[in-house]
Amino acid sequence: MSTRLARILTTIFVLAVVLLPIYWLVSTSLKSNREITQEGTLYPHVPTLDNYVRLFTEKQFGSYLTNSVVVTFFSVAIALVFGAMGAYAIARFRLPFAAERKIGLFLLTLRIIPPVVILIPVYLLMLSLGLLDSWLGLIATYTAFNVTFCVWMMESFFREIPVDLEEAAMVDGDSRFGAFRRITLPLAAPGLAATAIFAVLVTFNEFLFALALTATPRAMTMPRGTATLIGRIDTDWASMAAAGVIGALPIVFFALLVQRHLVRGLTMGAVK
Amino acid sequence: MQTGMQARKYRLQGAGLDLALPYLMLAPGLTIVLGVLVYPLWDGLRASTRAYRYGSPVSHVGFRNYVQLWSDAQFLNSLWVTVKFVALSVSIEAVLGFALALFCLHEFRGIRLLRTVLIIPMVITPVVVAILFRLIYASDAGMLTALSEAMGGGGVQILGNPLNAFIGLVVLDVWEWTPLMFLILLAGLQSLPHEPFEAARVDGAGSWRVFADLTFPMMRPVLAVAIVLRTIDAFGTFDQVFVLTRGGPGEATRLISIYGYDTAFKFQQTGYAAALFVTIGLVVLALAFSAIRLLRRIDAS
Repeated sequence: MSTRLARILTTIFVLAVVLLPIYWLVSTSLKSNREITQEGTLYPHVPTLDNYVRLFTEKQFGSYLTNSVVVTFFSVAIALVFGAMGAYAIARFRLPFAAERKIGLFLLTLRIIPPVVILIPVYLLMLSLGLLDSWLGLIATYTAFNVTFCVWMMESFFREIPVDLEEAAMVDGDSRFGAFRRITLPLAAPGLAATAIFAVLVTFNEFLFALALTATPRAMTMPRGTATLIGRIDTDWASMAAAGVIGALPIVFFALLVQRHLVRGLTMGAVK
Repeated sequence: MQTGMQARKYRLQGAGLDLALPYLMLAPGLTIVLGVLVYPLWDGLRASTRAYRYGSPVSHVGFRNYVQLWSDAQFLNSLWVTVKFVALSVSIEAVLGFALALFCLHEFRGIRLLRTVLIIPMVITPVVVAILFRLIYASDAGMLTALSEAMGGGGVQILGNPLNAFIGLVVLDVWEWTPLMFLILLAGLQSLPHEPFEAARVDGAGSWRVFADLTFPMMRPVLAVAIVLRTIDAFGTFDQVFVLTRGGPGEATRLISIYGYDTAFKFQQTGYAAALFVTIGLVVLALAFSAIRLLRRIDAS
C-alpha cells in the first residue's frame, strides 16, 4: 500500500513540475498587462484573447508561421530524399578503399561539431551569395544539417532490412535502383517516419542560424520572430506569453500526435 | 557504436549505370553538405588566422588569435561558466532521469500520462522554454513572486542576481532535458535481460543490492552514452540563454556560445570569433572521441 501511495505522490509531483510552468504561460497569455503586473493574480480573472489578436494583426506572426512551415517542409523533404539515397549507398555497397564507411564516419563527425562553430562562415557565405534574409538561404542551411542526420539515422534502418528481398526483386527483373525504390524504401517507412519527425522538430525549433541569417518578417521563422518581439517589448509580458503559446503550440501538437515514432527517434542510437 | 557484425554488402559489378549507382546516390547529399557545411568549416579555419576590420579581412595574423584567447579574461570566464553549467546540469539530469526511469519501470496506472507529459519539455521550442522561465522568474510578473505574495511574502529576485540567475539557468536546462535522459535510460532498462534479476530474487537479494550489483553495472554503457550525448549538446547551448538573460547579469550566465556570438556580430571581430569557435569545435570533438574510446573499453570489459 505504501509503494502505491509513493507512486501516486511522485506522479503528481512530476506532473506538477512539468505542467505548472506551462499553465503559467497560458494563464499569463490570457491576462491584460494591467492584471499581470499590478494585481499578480494566480489565474486570469478577466480572460481576454486580445494578446493573440495583436500578434497577428500588429506583429506579423502570420508571416513567421508561413516562413517556418515553408522552410521546415522543404529542408526536411529534400534532406529525406538525399539522405535516404546516401544512407542506402553506405549501407549496401562496398566501395574502393572502404570509402562508404569513411563517408559515413565523416558525416557523423560533422554532426558532433556544434553548429555554432560554422555560424560565421555560413553567414559570410550567404552574404556573398545574396541569400541573407531569404527562404532559400535558410532552406539550404537546414537541408545540409538534416542530411548529415538523415544519412546517419537511416543507414541503420536500411541495414536491418534483409538483402535477399532486393535480390529477389532483381531476379524478377527490377533494376537495383528499382528494387531500392519498390522494396527497401517501403519496408523502411517506419524508420523514415521517425527520421522525418525528428528532423521536423529540430528544424522548426532552430533559432541560432535564423537569428544570424534573417532580419525581416520576409524570412524570419517563428522562434526568430518571437525572440525579436521580446527584445523590443521588455515588459509587455502579455504579448510575450501569447507569443510563447503560439510558438510552442504547432510543434507540441505535432509531437503528441506522433509520440510513438518520436520516442523511437529520440532514444535510438543510444540504446542498441 | 557500430560494433558487432558487418552486414552483407554488394560488391560493385556490371558496367555503366550499375557501377555508378552508389556514387550517383551519394552525390546530391554530399554536394549540399560540402557546400554548406564543409566549405564554411574550411573558410572558418581560414578566417581564424586573419584580422578583420568592419567585416573584411585586413591582414594575416597566423595563430595570434588562438594565442590571444588564453589571455582573454572574458573568454576564460565564459569557458568556466560553460563548464560549470554543463557539469551541473548534466549530472543532475542523469541522477533525476535514472531515478525516474527506475520508478517507471513497473507498469502502473497513470504511467502513460506521465510519459506523454514528459515529452512536452524537450519538444517545446527552446526560445519558448526561455520565455516560460522568464515568466516564472520575473520580479514583477513572475510565478515565483505571485506565489510568494499569495503566501504573504515579498517579491523574488532571480535574474537580477548573478548566482540566482546561474542557478535559474541550470533549473531551466534540468526541466527541459531530464525527460530525454529519462526516455533513453528507460529504454535501456527495458532492454536488460530478465534472468539475472530473477536469480537475484530467488537468492533473496534486497533491492539496494540488486541495484548496486546488477542494474547499475549493466546500465553503465547506456548511461555513459546518454551523458555524452547531453554533454555535447549542452556545450552548444545558446537559444535559452540568449532569451533568458542574454548572458547577464554581468557575465554570470555568459556561456561560450554567447560570448562567441557577441564577438562576431556585436563587436565585429570576425577573425577572433572564428578562432574561438574553431577552439570550441576541437574541444567538443576531443571530448566526443575520448568518450567513444571510453565506451569501447566499457563494452570490451
